Amino acid sequence: MTNAGIWLRTLKVVFLSIFLAITIFPLYWIIITSFKMQKDIFSLPIQYWPKEFTLDNYIQIFKISHFQTYIFNSFLVSIVASFIVLIISMLGGYVLARFKFKGKGQVMGGFLITQIVPIFIGMAPLYMMMSKMQLVNHLFSLMLIYTVMLIPFCTIIMVGFFQRIPASLEEAAMIDGCSRISALFKVIVPVMLPGIMATLIFAFVQCWNELIMAVMFIDEESVKTIPVAMNSFIKKYDIEWGAMSAGTVLSVIPTMILFAFCQKYLVNGLTQGAVKG
Amino acid sequence: MRSRKKYFALFFSICLLLSIVVGCSKESSTKSNGNGKDSDGKVTLKMIESLSSPSRTALLNELIDKFEAANPKIKVELISPPFNGADQKITQMLMAKEALDVVEVREFNAKQFAMNGFIENLKPYTEKWKNYDSLNDIAKKRANWVDNTPYYIPNGLYERVLFYRTDWFKEAGLEVPKTWDEFYEAAKKLTNPSKNRYGYSFRGGPTGWDYALITMWAYNGKEVNPDNAFYLENGKTLFSSAKSLEALNFYKKVYKEVSPPDSINWGYPEMVQGFVSGSTAMLIQDAEVIDAAKEKLKDGTWATAPLPIGPSGVAQQVVSGPGWGMTAYSKHKKEAWKLIEFLSDPEQSNEYTKRSSVIPVHQNAFDDEFYKTGYFKPYGDMNAQPEIFLDVTRPIDFKGWGAWQSAADQDLQAFLSGNTSAKDLLKKWDQYWTKEKAENKK
Amino acid sequence: MKMEKQILHPNNPSVQPEKAPFRFSKEGIFILLCLAPAIVLVSVFVYYPIIKGSVMAFQNYTLFDLMNIHFIGLDNFKAVISSPNFATVVKNSVYWVFISLFFQLVLGFALALSMRKHFKGRGIYQGLVFFPWAMSGFLIGLIWRWMFNGQFGVINDLLLKTGLIDAPIAFLAEAKWAMASVIIANIWYGVAFFAIMILAALQSIPDELYEAAEIDGANKLHQLFYITLPYILPTLFITVLLRVIWILNFPDIIYSMTNGGPAGATHILSTYLIDKVMFEQNYGQASAVGLIIVVILLSFMVFFTKASKFEKKGDF
Repeated sequence: MTNAGIWLRTLKVVFLSIFLAITIFPLYWIIITSFKMQKDIFSLPIQYWPKEFTLDNYIQIFKISHFQTYIFNSFLVSIVASFIVLIISMLGGYVLARFKFKGKGQVMGGFLITQIVPIFIGMAPLYMMMSKMQLVNHLFSLMLIYTVMLIPFCTIIMVGFFQRIPASLEEAAMIDGCSRISALFKVIVPVMLPGIMATLIFAFVQCWNELIMAVMFIDEESVKTIPVAMNSFIKKYDIEWGAMSAGTVLSVIPTMILFAFCQKYLVNGLTQGAVKG
Repeated sequence: MRSRKKYFALFFSICLLLSIVVGCSKESSTKSNGNGKDSDGKVTLKMIESLSSPSRTALLNELIDKFEAANPKIKVELISPPFNGADQKITQMLMAKEALDVVEVREFNAKQFAMNGFIENLKPYTEKWKNYDSLNDIAKKRANWVDNTPYYIPNGLYERVLFYRTDWFKEAGLEVPKTWDEFYEAAKKLTNPSKNRYGYSFRGGPTGWDYALITMWAYNGKEVNPDNAFYLENGKTLFSSAKSLEALNFYKKVYKEVSPPDSINWGYPEMVQGFVSGSTAMLIQDAEVIDAAKEKLKDGTWATAPLPIGPSGVAQQVVSGPGWGMTAYSKHKKEAWKLIEFLSDPEQSNEYTKRSSVIPVHQNAFDDEFYKTGYFKPYGDMNAQPEIFLDVTRPIDFKGWGAWQSAADQDLQAFLSGNTSAKDLLKKWDQYWTKEKAENKK
Repeated sequence: MKMEKQILHPNNPSVQPEKAPFRFSKEGIFILLCLAPAIVLVSVFVYYPIIKGSVMAFQNYTLFDLMNIHFIGLDNFKAVISSPNFATVVKNSVYWVFISLFFQLVLGFALALSMRKHFKGRGIYQGLVFFPWAMSGFLIGLIWRWMFNGQFGVINDLLLKTGLIDAPIAFLAEAKWAMASVIIANIWYGVAFFAIMILAALQSIPDELYEAAEIDGANKLHQLFYITLPYILPTLFITVLLRVIWILNFPDIIYSMTNGGPAGATHILSTYLIDKVMFEQNYGQASAVGLIIVVILLSFMVFFTKASKFEKKGDF
């Protein structure tokens, strides 16, 4: 290897290490804070490693709130919404990728425009609509809103995936007697699994993390999702940073697990096509 | 879309979709249905609080449990949005006619709610209510705030006093400040940024303007019109006087010299936290804070005192009294009143005010030793000197109140951080309220 | 590489005249059935509220004055644009978008390049550095708010320890620092997205290209400029475009870190909009701000696509 090559390698290692440190540090910090005693959180000098470890913050957060309910609600909303989005956008994406028909451009264009317009413009009318449908303070409102918010983008992604897969694949299956729909699910879905997973993770993460709509539509304890609950924490307790960090850690864990298992699909899925081109 | 077949297809797919959707909604629906009546004839009331805090919510839930035990046919669901933004949330829900039966109404939105027909005139109920006359004067005044009609029953009164650290004061050989000047001097001596100690828990964040007003009133003294304290007795606005300019400059000095820099963003929780966590020596707040301070600070390290008075020799403030009202569109008015009556009953109400440490609304409550000694004593002292400690009123029924209020915090923050001068700020507010006065006279 | 053309030219459908209308075909019904859920839902729950909300931009629609809702022409726009905060808000939005974007792009690109070749533990490494992308903006805001705390914040402590500052800085309380602080948090969050996208693109470059270049004696720099960059350029363009839209319409971090404060010093257009809805409850002005965002983004898109010369015809 040339001199330059070694330099480049060293540079790379240094960069990767520094980058890792900067990425990890905030996470480290919030985890450490969550295990500190209340008095140690607000004392100088700052402890980079807690003198005493405590679970008090975690106990407190379950005591002062129904954190298990929030976690359950978040899961319910995110799973239901992301699966509905997946199905709807797969059907839509498939048709848009495979057929030529009048108005197709308009449909794609209509989906794309929603990406530019801040949905918050429609927040007040949406509130009225949900209220008329008696869905305010109901998890279903969030499922519905998240689904519609994600459909356009996920459909566009799906179009990209389908276009990467030769039509001959399902045509062969259809000759063998499959209907179009069963060809879609039996033949194509397995081939584009990484892409589907990438979309699903994307949708799930978006739902799991959504804040503004949730704050708008949810106030009752029994239907709060994690972001709503955390938002009312920060507003009610504010500098109770111990409990806040415990809550943060708890709400990050599920995405962390999901991400650990699925992140390889993200890059692979995208390599396969997706928004790539 | 012209063929019948396609309409059919569209219809079919919508049905398909709805069936998915309904399937899911069933799973998630753990709540009662819209009209608030269960199959067994139980009525569900929805109640929303505005001045929520974790301990208050817990206390209210306790009272609700009692109520439910006494009224097995009624179930109450309490909604507690976070304090910041709670009133906006309530307005929004009322406008959409969201299922709500009992709402917490505050002075500044009472008129708006009443005008829009959101809340019910409680006169027919209070007339038959035996305990109505047991309410004290201020509470009654607050209840009849709008058009001399009872739209809500106050649940507690909020009046500010000075909280201070007796141990720090002793250490520095200081006396409790009686005037704003003494206040500043004491705060200055106690400020030591290197030790992370500051003289005062400043409020620069949400509704910080309230504190700026207190200072301006104290400086203008008796020249202020108590019935509409944004104006002076001479008819001009409060913001037109030279004394207000002096007051604002003093206010900025307090922020710059004796308060933590972060406090430009501090709202209620931060300023209280600043005091009870031992980074500030003084705090001006409601009696509510007594509870928090008791919990976090050792006895004998802190005390309360009357509000500092201005160079004019007086101190004004707005005694506020939020209360329970009823939505005009409630389907269960009888039950809703039952709940309000229960919560406002002297027995429950006095327990509530005592435990949430706010000033009681019933006359007999002050007989309790609790209010004669200790941390609550300054309230008695202040009430005993009505010529020094004045209750004033803000023009909250003026049309421009809401807009001013939401802009005032930013205006003040801009002033405190040096982006606007005191003169410009006062000019802006003076013009605004001069115009408002003209418009509201019509 | 077909997609970017399509994405960038959605409104340029080239209808195929040779295809017979499907109106009565089985295929037509199938197409409609598959698209109907998406179209119906998006129309009812996205387009309808947005259009209704846009109408509010021309009305005196505020919760403080409900009895008096009527059309007022462009008054809301005038009020918004002439308000003294608006210049700050626009300036902040520009900083927020472009500074964030620049660092996210550069760092994301560097990260993706460094990760292109397999190394031991790359999977774990990838999982760790990409993780911020999966976190909510709201929580990220909270974490950084805590780290930037003026009294007990770790960032102050680190800066004091390294001797870069002598006294703690009230990062979120001073206008000049607050904006920098929220942007730093946003960069931290967004690098991963660029890295993921670029890495995916890099991995689709055939290795033979590099091998051939190596044989021809091209050095790494040449390879970067003559193989890598041209190959991933379309991805870069589409990602930049998407990110500009998303970053501008992404209020969460600012909402939880400063909520626009101090004195509106960290408001960007989208937080300003939310503030107008949730706190001022002036729905009319809020919608006006929203429409201003739309106009800005549309003109940016047109400008950007023109500038990047992506003018080939889309194929639908």
